[in-house]
Amino acid sequence: MTMVSANADTNDIQSSHRALIAHLVRRAGFGATPAELDKYCGWGYDATVEWLLHPEAQPGLDEDIIERYYIDWKESRNIEGALTETVYRMNGSAATRPLQEKVALFWHGVFATGLAKVLHEKTMLNQIDMFREYGLGSFRMLLERLARDPAMIFWLDNNFNHKDAINENWGRELLELFSMGVGMDGKENYTEDDVQEAARAFTGWTIDDDNVASIPFGKTPWLFRYDPDDHDDGIKTFQGETGNFNGDDIIEIICRQPSTARFISRHMYNFFVADDVQVPAWQNTPPADPDAIALLEAEYFRSGYDIRSMLKVLFTSDFFKSEAARFARVKSPAEVVVGTLHLVGDLKFPRTGVMDTALECRYMNQDLLNPPSVEGWHTGKEWIDSGSMVERINFVADELGNPSHRGVRNIVGALLEQESGLDAASIVDGCLELLGCVALREDNRTALVAQAAELLENGADLESVILNALRMIGSTREYQFA
Amino acid sequence: MSTVVEYPVSVAGLYQYHDVIGLLSASGPGFSGPVSLALGPDGLLHVASRANPNQPEGVRVSRCTFDGDYVGEFSGWGDAPGQFIWITEIRFGPDGNLYLSDENTHRISVFTPEGEFLRCWGELGAEPGQLNRPSGMAFAPDGSLLVVDSLNHRVQRFTADGEYLAGWGSEGEGPGQFSMPWGVAVDGGGDVYVTDWRNDRVQKFDAAGRFIAEFDGRGGGNGFSRPNGLTLDSEGRIYVCDWWKDRVQVLDSDGRVVDTLIGHSGTSKWARTFLDANPDIEEKLNAATQNIELKRRFYRPAAVTVSDDGLVFVADCYRHRVQIYRRL
Repeated sequence: MTMVSANADTNDIQSSHRALIAHLVRRAGFGATPAELDKYCGWGYDATVEWLLHPEAQPGLDEDIIERYYIDWKESRNIEGALTETVYRMNGSAATRPLQEKVALFWHGVFATGLAKVLHEKTMLNQIDMFREYGLGSFRMLLERLARDPAMIFWLDNNFNHKDAINENWGRELLELFSMGVGMDGKENYTEDDVQEAARAFTGWTIDDDNVASIPFGKTPWLFRYDPDDHDDGIKTFQGETGNFNGDDIIEIICRQPSTARFISRHMYNFFVADDVQVPAWQNTPPADPDAIALLEAEYFRSGYDIRSMLKVLFTSDFFKSEAARFARVKSPAEVVVGTLHLVGDLKFPRTGVMDTALECRYMNQDLLNPPSVEGWHTGKEWIDSGSMVERINFVADELGNPSHRGVRNIVGALLEQESGLDAASIVDGCLELLGCVALREDNRTALVAQAAELLENGADLESVILNALRMIGSTREYQFA
Repeated sequence: MSTVVEYPVSVAGLYQYHDVIGLLSASGPGFSGPVSLALGPDGLLHVASRANPNQPEGVRVSRCTFDGDYVGEFSGWGDAPGQFIWITEIRFGPDGNLYLSDENTHRISVFTPEGEFLRCWGELGAEPGQLNRPSGMAFAPDGSLLVVDSLNHRVQRFTADGEYLAGWGSEGEGPGQFSMPWGVAVDGGGDVYVTDWRNDRVQKFDAAGRFIAEFDGRGGGNGFSRPNGLTLDSEGRIYVCDWWKDRVQVLDSDGRVVDTLIGHSGTSKWARTFLDANPDIEEKLNAATQNIELKRRFYRPAAVTVSDDGLVFVADCYRHRVQIYRRL
């Protein structure tokens, strides 16, 4: 594997082409192994972006092998099993379809649906699969699928939304949290009448088979069903437009709104570029980078609401590539767990014990498939509390310091194979680079170099000093940023 | 018999649906992902459930009569001797004991039919005699045990005490090569049949491991997709669980497909008891749009075995039951 230079200082590393691509794949995926970074650097930045944007051209997971060993995942009888499957799939696709998994995680946070209420794991997993399939395409089509998603229908009570007794829960959240947002630039984006009319348009959008018990025959997924007899086909007025609207008509109108472009752009910025204020503040708090948001909004309309096109603009923009954007986001727990697993090369083939690892996400405050509310997880510094921080550090340090992992052995081997002699500084800087061009504050780097020097002076062998450096880097504040 | 259904015959009419045993349960009467079946010298049906890590007690071997009367079960989640996690196959040996393969510990464990642990052998590795995820097993007429060594892509022959005797196979697509093989069966003459799982075929070998033929299920059919469990009957017919196509293919001794079982399950005795106590659940089940698939059809059949009197038992893995057909 290629290294810039084990003796290069941190600033040199961060200004390198390799560091830029490492930044790209931390955000558009779950990071990269040193060998993968070599490959991406060989392709170049723009070609790597294109590769990321077209996961369909890459092989999917070996579903037969997953089913052979994890036979219970087909119906996923419990939340831990479903969580385990989700983490396994993210990690399994981190080398082949990283953006597809990252986008599925993104939409899972935006369209937050939870097993605390849905209580049907396979139906929830089918929703995540829907995000994988449609998450990079047209936002309009994605909303159309979301409105037909059985887990979402149940989550927001649209199965209780009848033509003569509307339930506005789905209609409200569709506007408030899934598309337009409450307001922007200090103004409200919709009225209470809009909520009511949207709800009317989605009457009769319901589900089948949600009442089938798992005993005696096992679980069976829920299905979408449109009941025309329960649909209110009267005239409705929504966002100033009047007609005999059905649900898809409402979605079409929503997608035309500037507020929707703003809302999706801000979510993308917060997830892929830098931590921003949380959703409830968006009505009155302008974007952290208004020019970046304007660029994304323009592409939203130019491309016909195409998410892939928006992400291409984002990943190739100066605001994304800038060094100011590097390590400007606190990693979500899923990014910590999957990124670390991918780096060390663990759980790439089915084995027992995967559930214990997958549960780390929960311990770090991100219970995948079970967000705290329809608003999803608050991000940025809100991921961190004393308990979750200890979990993060312990997990990463344990994984990076475990020489039984193939990825760790590769890093150790790459450093030991260097022609020039290793000293404390080159060990620390080499580890930083091989872990994905991690940037440390200079005082932290100095402390790690001093510790490595002390170990060397005390006669420790090079491998143990490298493993200790990996553990210590994994314990730093900086490693918790993407 | 606990059930009558409307169309109880197989595709070619050679088999008639007979009965069903099971419902989803992590303990007691019921199964949780049954992956292997064995007809014991005690006259009982033994069913191995794979279950999942959240229900360690569900990983077990259950015993019941052919009429679906629950007799007992044994389990032991873990990797210590006598314990198992990724149970894959159970087979009775000529000594009357139950042999169990575990893909987690890479061991073969031996129990009495009642579940008393006797011994175990096997270790992880790729050298002759070592194992990497042992899956299917079958006893040969000479009393030796054939073990499918799935991640080493080979078949190995051992004594019942685990002494290595011979082996053959390597990873590949050619004759005598394998891609993650799963099941194995032996006929009365000692010829060996192996489901070559990721190559979507069954290969036939002589007792020395020399390649004889391969069957891909296309002769009179439309090809296997990840075949796993298989067995032979007294007339030389080969029964193959065509796992990803949710069916059981019946082949003649030349490999031609002569019939197909798709699943015609009724409601088992155990399920009947449950549904009688929960009529609201049965009402909703009957109203389900997918109820035919749920109630009757195979969903990932994983194992098949045939009794001396022509009953064909199929482990209907994702429906947590054993469907039984009778040869006509």
